[in-house]
Amino acid sequence: MEILEAQSTASSQPIEHRFNPYSDNGGTILGIAGEDYALIAGDTRHTTGYSINSRYEPKVFDVGDNLVVSANGFAADGNALVDAIKNRVEWYHHAHNKPLKVQSLARQIQHLLYRKRFFPYYVHTILAGLDDEGKGAIYSYDPVGSYEREQCRAGGAAASLIMPFLDNQVYFKNQFDPATQQYRVRSYLPIDDAIKIVRDAFSSATERHIHVGDGLEVLIVTKAGIEKRYFPLKRD
Amino acid sequence: MAGKDCIAIACDLRLGMQSVGVSSNFEKIFEYDSVYLGLTGLATDVITLSEEFRMKHNMYKMREERRMEPDTFANLVSSSLYEKRFGPYFVGPIVAGLNSKTGKPFICGFDLIGAIDFAKDFIVAGTATDQLYGMCESLWEPDLEPEDLFETISQALLNAQDRDALSGWGAVVYIITKDKVVKRLLKTRQD
Amino acid sequence: MAGGAADCQFWETWLNTQCRLHELRNKERISVAAASKILANLTYSYKGAGLSMGTMICGYTKREGPAIFYVDSDGERLQGDLFCVGSGQTFAYGVLDKNYKWELTVEEALDLGKRSILAATHRDAYSGGSVNLYHVTEQGWVYHGNYDVGTELWDAKDREQSFNHIVTSIPS
Repeated sequence: MEILEAQSTASSQPIEHRFNPYSDNGGTILGIAGEDYALIAGDTRHTTGYSINSRYEPKVFDVGDNLVVSANGFAADGNALVDAIKNRVEWYHHAHNKPLKVQSLARQIQHLLYRKRFFPYYVHTILAGLDDEGKGAIYSYDPVGSYEREQCRAGGAAASLIMPFLDNQVYFKNQFDPATQQYRVRSYLPIDDAIKIVRDAFSSATERHIHVGDGLEVLIVTKAGIEKRYFPLKRD
Repeated sequence: MAGKDCIAIACDLRLGMQSVGVSSNFEKIFEYDSVYLGLTGLATDVITLSEEFRMKHNMYKMREERRMEPDTFANLVSSSLYEKRFGPYFVGPIVAGLNSKTGKPFICGFDLIGAIDFAKDFIVAGTATDQLYGMCESLWEPDLEPEDLFETISQALLNAQDRDALSGWGAVVYIITKDKVVKRLLKTRQD
Repeated sequence: MAGGAADCQFWETWLNTQCRLHELRNKERISVAAASKILANLTYSYKGAGLSMGTMICGYTKREGPAIFYVDSDGERLQGDLFCVGSGQTFAYGVLDKNYKWELTVEEALDLGKRSILAATHRDAYSGGSVNLYHVTEQGWVYHGNYDVGTELWDAKDREQSFNHIVTSIPS
């Protein structure tokens, strides 16, 4: 048979297909350290794009030895990292038969993250615990393991909304008293004040960020142990 | 930001080319009698538009022989921006003022092609919008008196711009009440 | 340290470990040249992989005297007595080049270093926060404090009548 005319159904342009190993599950976390406590708060909404997968999917975890960790961003990587951390804590006990200190876990987490430097865990990580003097400690990490000890840190989808608020309310940044011509000096926050700030931060973030909402879970570390508290957030 | 029978409008003073700061005295708020326009974005468009609105505002005053109300000005901004629907000015405008008849606060914002966002609380624009939303949403409350509104808008702007690399280098705040306008220059960090 | 925060933090703590091991093995502190070459060899081995670091390794040994090495993620390694590294390096060089001389006292050098960084934090959007100062001696380093740019810059402006483009009043 002689073909007079043929029409190709395929596009004349080549199409490139590519597997994307990452996604963003929204949510936001926040850590504050005080004189004798440290806390990590996180919302409980789990999303992909505009869909809400769950209104209660906790992402702040007790990893043992009075230490609390949250890895926010891509939930699969976050959970994998928290599992790896729990594993590290367990094997530290087997090897050394003593509790893991917060500075030590902090360095361990850097190595866990940097080990995947060229295929990173897509997460912003926060670690909370008490230091050798019993003072609250917050350590925060970028996705590839750069870390720093701080008094407070927000991470995740609404970090950019919450962080300046924390600078203002926890570090008292830009609080200038014209009467004394002095900036307000930094000090430890009582736990009740910290909880108030956390709740304000999250209700504000919920109002303006679609990936934040549903519920707020706070894990508070004191020498007495870890206390878990839940507060509802707007579900719209 | 809206308060009790008052409004406040504020801006930073930085003009930069990417990472390099070029001017620390680039005001982004423009007065049209008692209407205030804040313009962020591409500097050339900020200047061009502020002068175009100056001209249009003056033309209105001469034809109508009365002052322009804030809501009227908002619609002027909107229609002017939409005229350039397919070759827009790269700006983020906000309008604030008190209605001369009712004395009611009026504030609104726009996207770059003129869609109006009416708000009764606050409007933000520019490179630090996320930070400003976080600050305003947590600090603002209804019916603030002028002095409290000043503190609120100042803290909101200062702490937001300190978390944005491309904002800062000084700040200016206007507090507008029925019979007085106070303009204040804030001492900010310069990095 | 400038560039990728994690890259710098990780490999410089790693470098510290290598230096300590040298000390334990050889009963002697490592030379600045050797220390910097450990890092340069490392970055060269990772060349093209995407590491991002610009570093200076400063030291003082009997053999070398005071020495500075510049090492970056391209594998470059240079010795010199004056370097600025990072997004604000050009601004820092501006102040440094005008005022630098070999005969600087320790105090003058500390002040000049701080002033150069101050200039950089001002003009460069991606630099800022605070300035850390260290003095490296043959005995080791001495920390000379953390200075908040927020107050330090206004102090400098008042003290030396510099930064005159910064407005302090509303023009009428």
